[in-house]
Amino acid sequence: MDIDDILRSVDPSTGGIPRETTDLQILTRLWVAERSAPELLAWPSDGVFERVNNRIKAQIEKVEDMTGDMDPTTNFALIVIQTELERFKFLVRSYLRARIAKIDRHTLHYLSSSELRSRLAPTELAYATRHQALLHNHYLSSFLNAFPPQLQNLNDTAGGVSMIDAPDLDTAVFVRMLTDKEVSGRGSDRDNSLNAAEGDVLIMRWESARDMVTQGEAELV
Amino acid sequence: MYGDTGMKLVQHAKRTQSLAHLPPYQTELVRAVTREVRDLDKDVSELLEPFQGSFDPSADQAVATTLLVNHLSMRRNKRCLLAYHRTRTEKLEELVWNGADVVDLSGQQVRADGATTTSSLSPQEEEYVRQYSDLLAAYKGQWTDIDLTGSLEPPRDLFIDVRVLKDAGEIQTEYGAITLTKNSQFYVRQGDVERLIAQGYLQKLSG
Repeated sequence: MDIDDILRSVDPSTGGIPRETTDLQILTRLWVAERSAPELLAWPSDGVFERVNNRIKAQIEKVEDMTGDMDPTTNFALIVIQTELERFKFLVRSYLRARIAKIDRHTLHYLSSSELRSRLAPTELAYATRHQALLHNHYLSSFLNAFPPQLQNLNDTAGGVSMIDAPDLDTAVFVRMLTDKEVSGRGSDRDNSLNAAEGDVLIMRWESARDMVTQGEAELV
Repeated sequence: MYGDTGMKLVQHAKRTQSLAHLPPYQTELVRAVTREVRDLDKDVSELLEPFQGSFDPSADQAVATTLLVNHLSMRRNKRCLLAYHRTRTEKLEELVWNGADVVDLSGQQVRADGATTTSSLSPQEEEYVRQYSDLLAAYKGQWTDIDLTGSLEPPRDLFIDVRVLKDAGEIQTEYGAITLTKNSQFYVRQGDVERLIAQGYLQKLSG
């Protein structure tokens, strides 16, 4: 327990809701957002995954402890815990896989600037770097080696066309407003803005929605 | 010349996307496209040679056009090769995620002429699969409790009905050991048998 936890325990806005429940909410929200956003979102920095991981470990141990017990009541509890455990595992697994899929798709893009790099977790960064190196090696040994040297790069921007593919930020996303706010979105014919109330669901381009989502004024659905 | 063979490679790649298995690696085509790039590059340097580095495109438009076409063809061929290899590696990565290893993959053999069999992977691809498996194993190792390669279907029930398609021997579960013999049916915990379903030993029965 550190000072933040003490402060939170007297804070009326979070009072009464245990940490476990808020963590599950955070995790679910992250998962939904990651699956609907066209580009990779930032890796949560508040240690929610460390906490979830520890809890999964603890529950697995608990299950192992309880398995020996043949009492019907613990057996029922066991099934509830195991089901919950499977769901937790699924959330984490699906979240990580969604991220890996995005990283694999646009590896060079996410490795190209430090701002984009900072969105990756350290383990993901290691994975992406290594994967890109493997791919490059594979291309080199398969055909690039026989190319003239000036054509061997994978990140040319000659002729105004970059070889690095980036995610399409204009993809449409659904967002739910978390505050009352005037929302403006870019359209293909003309731009539009309207007054949105809390709870409204809007469809708009990710480019226009991104700032609201990162600032917590809206969430992806 | 000028991208014909590259086009063939792209067509191969396109076809690969919709196939369940990986078709044989087109060694000849890849070699032909690479050779074309080298020839074009040689042409370019031969064309540029008499000018000694002081080439003025507006003074000699015919040569400038030839150079441009050669340049574009080289870049196009490179793109075709990259696309072809990327499509194949993506397919291979997918197979690795699904639990195949390099022995399975190179064992996925295609009959070339009756008696002799050849692997549909190029040696480089086999090497790639090996290294990618290691990479994936390393990444998965950080999430041992989650089992990253597990099912991406949201879990509905803890226990499921399965039918055994192939003899799989005895497995250990927390409720004791079960012997999986062909055509028998069991009610088991999903987490225990997920791997066997993926490997095709068991079939999940929808309730």
